[in-house]
Amino acid sequence: MSLSARMIAASVILAVLVAGGFGVLISAMSALDDAKQREAHSKDVAVAALALEKLFGDLVTGERGFILTGEQRFLQPWTEARKELDRRVLEFEQLSAANPEQLQRARQLSAAIRDYVLFYSEPLIEVARTNRAAARGEVAEAESKRLTDEIRRRFDTFRSEEDALAAASASSADRQSDRAIGLAVTGLVVCAVLIVLFGVYLARSTARPVRAVATAASRLAAGDLSTRLSRGGPGEVGELTAAFNRMAEELELSRAELESQNEQLRQSERRKSELVRIVSHELRTPLASVLGFTSVLLDRDVPPEEQRHYLDIVNSQARRLSSLLNDFLDAERLEEGELELSPKLIDMGAVVAEQVQLYKGQSAKHMLDAALPPTPLPVHGDPNRLAQVIGNLLSNAIKYSPDGGTVHIEAEQVDSVIRVSVRDQGLGIPEELQQRVFAKFFRGDADVSGIPGTGLGLTIARSVVEAHGGRMNFESARGQGSVFWLELPIAANGP
Amino acid sequence: MPRSLFMTLIVAGLAAAALGYGWSASSSAVTGPGTIRLTSREISRTRIDLGRPGRGVGDTEIVKHNLFNLRLRSKPLGRAEYVCTYTTSFARACTVTIFMPRGRLIAGGSIRYNDVYELAVLGGTRLYDDARGTVTVIRTTRRPRRHIMLFRLTG
Repeated sequence: MSLSARMIAASVILAVLVAGGFGVLISAMSALDDAKQREAHSKDVAVAALALEKLFGDLVTGERGFILTGEQRFLQPWTEARKELDRRVLEFEQLSAANPEQLQRARQLSAAIRDYVLFYSEPLIEVARTNRAAARGEVAEAESKRLTDEIRRRFDTFRSEEDALAAASASSADRQSDRAIGLAVTGLVVCAVLIVLFGVYLARSTARPVRAVATAASRLAAGDLSTRLSRGGPGEVGELTAAFNRMAEELELSRAELESQNEQLRQSERRKSELVRIVSHELRTPLASVLGFTSVLLDRDVPPEEQRHYLDIVNSQARRLSSLLNDFLDAERLEEGELELSPKLIDMGAVVAEQVQLYKGQSAKHMLDAALPPTPLPVHGDPNRLAQVIGNLLSNAIKYSPDGGTVHIEAEQVDSVIRVSVRDQGLGIPEELQQRVFAKFFRGDADVSGIPGTGLGLTIARSVVEAHGGRMNFESARGQGSVFWLELPIAANGP
Repeated sequence: MPRSLFMTLIVAGLAAAALGYGWSASSSAVTGPGTIRLTSREISRTRIDLGRPGRGVGDTEIVKHNLFNLRLRSKPLGRAEYVCTYTTSFARACTVTIFMPRGRLIAGGSIRYNDVYELAVLGGTRLYDDARGTVTVIRTTRRPRRHIMLFRLTG
């Protein structure tokens, strides 16, 4: 679930709880109001009971006054009370209807009053009109006392019960009030706790991750690109940490690339320095020869045979200079990816044989042993570039076999490729240097050994072979010579 | 038999008599525990002059009442017979036999005024065996003479 959805859900839950709390509070307040209404009603009933009792008192007083005096005017309270009686009784019973037990008591009380009036008071007044002595006699008095005592006892009972009800209502109202207050306080406390918990949740789910991101961003800004945030977190926080981690990874990669490019620039700078050094060194020697021999030829009177020898040397050094420049140009073209080929169908055996023939006379200490098949070895390639490759391999084999020996050259068809290998019995290449043999300007121990060269030959040779769709590699061991080989795809239709 | 249970039976009998067997109860005959209210109408009064001529000590008076519940029915539901002996020129010692469908109640005592008097319930027969209490009688009309009889039975 996303963080926003969680927050909305938490808010809804909090709102429901608060609403529920208020609902309970309102219910408690309503119950409190009911209890107060019951209490007020009890008071109304008590007032009605008192009014009825007063009316009954008027009946008794009027009746006794008339009986004792025989004067009609003393009967006035009785007459008026008699008129009021039915209405008051009805009102009294209606007010008492809320409580069944009190209603029953009210009805019994009303019946007792009516009976008193109908079966005692009215007959006694009638008796008193003709026989006042009988009406005020002890029997009538005792009966009156019995009846009024009974009715007053009923009034007392009714009032005490109503008082008890009122007290119970008041007590209930108090309890409801206490309950409402308790619920309100509890609800407030619960809401406060929930709000605090919600805040803690927000802090944990939002503020803390944001702070962690800010801290990590600071570390990142300070250069610590390895800074990462722990994965996870709800919804958007998880997305934020993931995005931060991706950004940090991208920054780290970019910095690594920059560092790599810097390193390449530094290497390039070193190579240029190396190139300048090599070019200076390699050019200086033949130039010195050319300058020296031409000065001799110009300044001295040299015999013709010697002149020719000097001119051969000058020519050779000039060719060497030309070859060096070609190598540098080729290296530059390779660097720029502009090596141009003029491919055509050729016999690789013929190319190898021609180069063997060229290099055979270059060293008296070396013997070139070529093993070539009688049949053509057709490849589709640039004859000059492939001849350059073979020549480079033969030249290296001779140069790196300073003590002389046999250089075996073999060309053959192996499955679908033409394989050419050049084996020498020279110095061999130490294992620790073998990884860098095809690197530009790498010459291993050649400088120390005084073996001339630019360190570009093998680089160019491998690039030429690979440009023809072939591959080139070697096997070598220190002091045991080397075997350089190349494989070119065989041409589909031979020459 | 417990006294309270006996009183309950008596009251139940009177109520049953008043309601089920035609004894008249007024509008609210049962006004409380042990209280029954009936109405009566005097149907005859005979005085036997035994002493000096005129009303005086020793005269005997026999009075008969029919008992009613006029709200329920107009016919008599029972009767009461008074046998009184004058003890002064106006006071009498009376014994009243009240005839009810399930037995008889016997009441007695001194009557000073005919309009308002009280008698003791002395006993009874059958259902009202061993009944106790009082009956208060108040005249309601002079001609004909009608009364309200209020029985308060305590056991």
